[in-house]
Amino acid sequence: MSASPIARQATQSQSIPASKSIVIQDANQMPADYSSTPGGTLYSTTPGGTRIVYERAFLMNLRNSPISQTPPKNLPSIPTNLLKSTAPVSISSIKTANPLIKDVIDDASEQFEMDM
Amino acid sequence: MHKQQQRNRGRVVTTTDAQGCQRGSDRFRAPSAISEVEKMEPEASNLEEFPPELLIKHPLQHTWTLWYYEPEHSKVWQDRQREVTSFDTAEDFWSLYNHMKQASELRIGNDYSMFKQGIQPMWEDDANKHGGRWLINLDRKQRLTELDRFWLETLLCMIGEGFNAYSDDVCGAVVNIRMKQDKIAVWTANASNQSSVMEIGRKLKERLRIPPSIIIGYQAHKDNKNKPGSVIKNIYTI
Repeated sequence: MSASPIARQATQSQSIPASKSIVIQDANQMPADYSSTPGGTLYSTTPGGTRIVYERAFLMNLRNSPISQTPPKNLPSIPTNLLKSTAPVSISSIKTANPLIKDVIDDASEQFEMDM
Repeated sequence: MHKQQQRNRGRVVTTTDAQGCQRGSDRFRAPSAISEVEKMEPEASNLEEFPPELLIKHPLQHTWTLWYYEPEHSKVWQDRQREVTSFDTAEDFWSLYNHMKQASELRIGNDYSMFKQGIQPMWEDDANKHGGRWLINLDRKQRLTELDRFWLETLLCMIGEGFNAYSDDVCGAVVNIRMKQDKIAVWTANASNQSSVMEIGRKLKERLRIPPSIIIGYQAHKDNKNKPGSVIKNIYTI
């Protein structure tokens, strides 16, 4: 297995995912501290400082990312009557199930229908 | 020639008379075995095809807790509120949302609530007791057409800090599934802070795309508490 996503992130250069754009008309509108960006910083807060703001479209886009498709971390503690009946129960049950049933693909198409 | 054929055939099929049938099923079995192997490998390599920013969870400003209310008559009201789970990244929110039932699929009488961690979805909580709620009533038809969209928009607005500086005054939101009328409410911390309450109401209406002709009201929790069951006056409308 290659480096973890975090390690890879550290060794490659890439742009910061943008959630919003702020138009600056005057130097006074710039934040006072170096570690802040106008309108709030994505990845960090500074003392007394920035707010992590995500626009609707940005959050909606994250819905389709691979980590968002994985089962919630404490799945067993969630009452089963609150879980979608189509939700994949666990990895092992998918492997033993009929290989023709492709849960992952089914899920994906459902997501796209929901997307607006 | 004939021998060759036999051997070739022998490799694919086991032998025997029901050749067509057997060969068919063998052919089927062979590729499916391969695809099963492939299915396990690409899971790792697939992830690498995504840009790294999609593999790193996006932290939220707050940790949020999802609650579930079920009207079990054997329990007192407070105990019917059940804490389901908490999350503090956008991806963890989605994996929860993607696996849980929509609000419209809950049974009559049940609620979902989502509050900042540490705030219980009840008026009595210290964070709520001076507050109130923006209330959106939905008729029965809207359960199918609007309810799930309204609820998702409300959640996204909260976790994304969509109320901007006024987000600090937001405590959480509740969706009630009821026979006559479903309700969605956004709870804020201080009913007497007019500018904050009004700005939150305005933003909520905008994000839910509620037409200007529909007026929504804000009620103080203490008014609800003192006159349970009666008509509660709106202290603000928008």
